Amino acid sequence: MKYFKLIRRNLFRNPLRAVLTLALIAFIFFFVSTLLSILQLFDRFEDQGQGANRLVVQSSISLANALPYAHEQKLREIPGVEDVCKMQWIGAYYKDKKNFFANFAVDHDRMGSVFDDYKIDPQQMKDFQNDRQGCIVGPDLMKRFGWKIGDRITLKRQIFPYDPELTIRGVYHHPVNTAALYYHMDYHQLLMNNFGQVNTFWIKIKDPSKMAAISQQIDAMFKNSEYPTETVTEKQFQASFMAMMGNIKLLFGSICTCAVFMVILLAAITMSMSARERVTEIAVLKAIGFERPLVMTLMLTEFALLTLLGGALGVFGAKLLYMIVPMGQITQGFLVGFTIFPATMLIALAASGLVGLIAGGLPAINATRMSVVDGLRRVV
Amino acid sequence: MEALVEIRDVHKVYRRDQFDVPVLNGLTLAVPKGDFLALMGPSGSGKTTLLNLIAGIDRPTRGSIVVEGREISRFSESALASWRARHIGFIFQMYNLIPVLNAFENVELPLLLTNLNKKQRREHVETALSIVALADRMRHYPRQLSGGQEQRVAIARAIVTDPTILVADEPTGDLDAKNAEETLELLHRLNTEFEKTIVMVTHDPKAASRAKHALHLEKGQLAEGSYGYEEQAAGA
Repeated sequence: MKYFKLIRRNLFRNPLRAVLTLALIAFIFFFVSTLLSILQLFDRFEDQGQGANRLVVQSSISLANALPYAHEQKLREIPGVEDVCKMQWIGAYYKDKKNFFANFAVDHDRMGSVFDDYKIDPQQMKDFQNDRQGCIVGPDLMKRFGWKIGDRITLKRQIFPYDPELTIRGVYHHPVNTAALYYHMDYHQLLMNNFGQVNTFWIKIKDPSKMAAISQQIDAMFKNSEYPTETVTEKQFQASFMAMMGNIKLLFGSICTCAVFMVILLAAITMSMSARERVTEIAVLKAIGFERPLVMTLMLTEFALLTLLGGALGVFGAKLLYMIVPMGQITQGFLVGFTIFPATMLIALAASGLVGLIAGGLPAINATRMSVVDGLRRVV
Repeated sequence: MEALVEIRDVHKVYRRDQFDVPVLNGLTLAVPKGDFLALMGPSGSGKTTLLNLIAGIDRPTRGSIVVEGREISRFSESALASWRARHIGFIFQMYNLIPVLNAFENVELPLLLTNLNKKQRREHVETALSIVALADRMRHYPRQLSGGQEQRVAIARAIVTDPTILVADEPTGDLDAKNAEETLELLHRLNTEFEKTIVMVTHDPKAASRAKHALHLEKGQLAEGSYGYEEQAAGA
């Protein structure tokens, strides 16, 4: 601690350079923490089905191909199946195409049983179930459009030939899925002239250890039918959605790596300049008895503090910004619930400190390796 | 007189690219405790190299340097640094204060390597700054001080640990006549009043005249007419 004053003073000995370096590092770590948090948001989306004892039955041809209602009864008869809930992706939007969000038709009377991790006030659930045009909505979506329970809303068609006219009957709560809308499958079927098809069946399994076996059994059962199925766990189902986005994780990960590499190089240039300027001072410190490891520790601490400070500015700046800016709204529901997650903050802060050690390592070694006589040569 | 520093048959050869450049050629010298020795000579005569060897910031190619009975040329780098912290006070021509630290903090630097607590360090620093008559400038940064004041702060830094030897390299080389005189007077006082052993390199005969003894070096050896103490004593 007695050396901290020396470190602190050296940190800002050239204020303009220090501020510019801090700004550069802050900007890059703002960017990195944002990308890492987007990746983490995707992971959370993928993981929302982790641990759930649900299987998703879809057409083996593609998710866009529908399955007949008749499959439902056969699924119910499989030993180990506790309940089945039909669900249809609707793909409608609110007022304007930019107001896109996830909306589904669902078996209103089975939803509470199959999706028991979705919490909803019992009275609101009852109101939803009793109103064929009723719907339940996630809290972030309510906030995004300023909706209230009892509001009548009309969604605009995109896939199906009708505009759903709905009344909000309740708000569900879920740790990850906070911005979707669910309405009655009956209402959907009515407007589709009892179409009798749906794109997914969601199955609740009594014993999660038998999920794989039941999954195989289902697909074997429909293998030779007109509507063959592909049954996956909920986590696999969510992951397949992410796969549709292409290898965005690899892309974002690569950009983060490049950004960190770039900041290492830029920081190394700054630190080399700083170390070179101080060759004589370092020689003086060594002459008066500071040992080389101590001088190197002082320099590396200074460099790591500089990058850590820049990293902290970037990370906490991003955290603050995303608390104020409604990213869900700006990204049309793509980044609902977006924030800089604590794990991301820790990773980014650790990386920023490490940048200082890596970037400053060589300049510090070079500066402290020089002999006292060579360092003082200009003046001694 | 008891020898504090004994230099025996010291050679120093620097390697510059593919060339060997001999700087000291079998130099033998003894510096008694409490002496104020001026080393003089033309550029390249080896006086600064000799000073660096005495101060333990360089090593001889051959020969031995014994200070207070200890062969310092055999110390490890770490041991030598530790030894310098306890035994050597440096005074440079260009003062070499740390620009981001004020006078107090500059003087305090060598004390950071000791076990003294903050209060003890403060007492030592204040004493050292009082000796150089700069107690009222302790919060000033080097850029806020004149050249003479900077050199006095540097002297305070050199004496704050109460070292065995003060080594001064052209301490008046960058000062005007008035400040040079004040600096020499201060060194003289440190030698006479505080009994500090001082080895000073200088080109200036006037500065050398303030020392108790002056030795001339030429081509890495004591010049003709320049004598070690034994010879001086014998001749006296």
